[in-house]
Amino acid sequence: MRRRLPVLVGLMIFASGAARAQTAPDQTEQIRILLERVQQLEKRVGELETKTVAAAVPTAEAAAPVPAAPKPEMAEAVPASAPMHQHEQTESQATTRQLEARYPSLQIRGFGEVNFSTTDQRGAISGFNLGQLDLHLASALSHKVTYFGELTFNAQSAGYTLEVERSIIRYDYNDFFKLSFGRYHTPIGYWNTAFHHGAWLQTTISRPEMIKFGGTFIPVHFLGVLAEGNIPSGGAGLSYNAGVGNGRGFPISRPGDAGDNNNNRAWVANLYSRPAKLYGLQMGVSVYRDKITLPVNPAGNDFREWISAAHIVWTKETPEFLAEFANVNHKNILTNAITNNQAYYVQMGYRLPWFEKTLKPYYRFEHTHTPLSEQLFTNQDLVQSIVGMRYDITNYASFKGEYRNFKRLPTDPRVNGAFFQTDFTF
Amino acid sequence: MNATYKKRIVTLLWTILWATVALQSPSLAQTSHGTDVAVVVNSDTPVADLSLSEVRKVMLGERQYWSSKLPVVLLIRAPAARERDVVLRVIYQMSEAQFKQYWVAKIFRAEAASPPRIVYSNDMQYELLTALPGAIAFVDSRNIRPGVKVLRVDGHLPGEKDYPLR
Repeated sequence: MRRRLPVLVGLMIFASGAARAQTAPDQTEQIRILLERVQQLEKRVGELETKTVAAAVPTAEAAAPVPAAPKPEMAEAVPASAPMHQHEQTESQATTRQLEARYPSLQIRGFGEVNFSTTDQRGAISGFNLGQLDLHLASALSHKVTYFGELTFNAQSAGYTLEVERSIIRYDYNDFFKLSFGRYHTPIGYWNTAFHHGAWLQTTISRPEMIKFGGTFIPVHFLGVLAEGNIPSGGAGLSYNAGVGNGRGFPISRPGDAGDNNNNRAWVANLYSRPAKLYGLQMGVSVYRDKITLPVNPAGNDFREWISAAHIVWTKETPEFLAEFANVNHKNILTNAITNNQAYYVQMGYRLPWFEKTLKPYYRFEHTHTPLSEQLFTNQDLVQSIVGMRYDITNYASFKGEYRNFKRLPTDPRVNGAFFQTDFTF
Repeated sequence: MNATYKKRIVTLLWTILWATVALQSPSLAQTSHGTDVAVVVNSDTPVADLSLSEVRKVMLGERQYWSSKLPVVLLIRAPAARERDVVLRVIYQMSEAQFKQYWVAKIFRAEAASPPRIVYSNDMQYELLTALPGAIAFVDSRNIRPGVKVLRVDGHLPGEKDYPLR
């Protein structure tokens, strides 16, 4: 027992120290906020003292009784013209002007990530990679018109490529009708329009396979016109997106930025609900219709594509739950051959209550199936499990570590891998 | 050292250890209740009564217009103000970090052009409320001043029994 006691004491001190170390960044943040607040209050006191000196000579205004605060329900009826000094009015007007909207008002935000991966897959190379550097632009052009843009810099073996991921100009008529033009992330399902290219925003290191960037299962990008808004539906909290655009280009992972490759427009519709009484819940359905024209295909060049998808998510973090399913139906117009491809994922996470809520363990299972008779897609079969932990280093940066186990074709061996990422916004 | 003494020391050490862990939990350390927080809007805003879920919808940026010609202008007190704590706890149901992340994501999703405007004092808040049509803010009910409209929330005004923002 005598031997165990020092060990126990040591463990306790270590645990306390570790806990304190975890909270240090947040304490620093709190101290910074409090210091800012103290500085603001000091400034305010200084200003008030200056005013007191200036008002030393009694005036009729100063001697006038200050009206008592009205009862809340009567507040509206009382006139707003409380007596004010000219200096005070000038200062207030300056403050107000500072916070009044100005057009255009460009805001830039960036997202970045650094990754490390290693797997036991034969021939795979472990190591670091820079991931995407993402710049997001938002600028109100008036109180009804807003521009949004997203650019990514992607590390390649011979340098960097620049990609315009989104470029949207939107006119808001009201909450029920907003019309925009440009290049979007296609509003199919949830993830594709929830996290975009901001790895820091998502719990996990990577997107699910069915909506990965550069993938083909779902057309990730969409170029055209989109209407969106709320639907008057009381507590059901319904909203919609409906759009017409170029559809898939060639290769089919791209949306035909420089023009459509056939005279058929794609269309997409997305309907979702955020029930008022279940704050955090979102569920929805999406459909997407397109005609795909391939430049060369011996069995016919044209295909009809019909994508139907559904999602249900609980966005609070205690717990977090995301699930999506999509079926991609292809019909060869020449041969009438039909194939159906399915993919889904289920992801769960939980923000732990300890260590200032900086830790969030998670698990994701995903499955993709493409039949052997599929003519448009190359085989994308996948069964994958991911277990990981997200640690929020600060309010704007996180560190993630994941173990993945996946298998593609039935004849392929299972692959195990460890993946790490630090991601941030700036 | 006899067995009873050893047992007491072990119990004491465990108590200290658990107390240390428990004190890290903000749920135990940061519970505070006080006076009601009033939802106030510019006096020209065409609204007088909202349910709590409607207030939430406004504050989440899901409702961005009072009418087609009058956009909502969100005002929120800076961190450390009690009004902000109540808004985050009752309306957003988020921590400070989650609130910041929510607005980064909201703008990134092209669902809003800017986050709520931060105000550092009640004076500043009232100036903006009276100057900006469509402005909505949260004020300690003891500090309500003339010239603004106080909204009923779920049919209740601040000070009434079932008022939800406190």
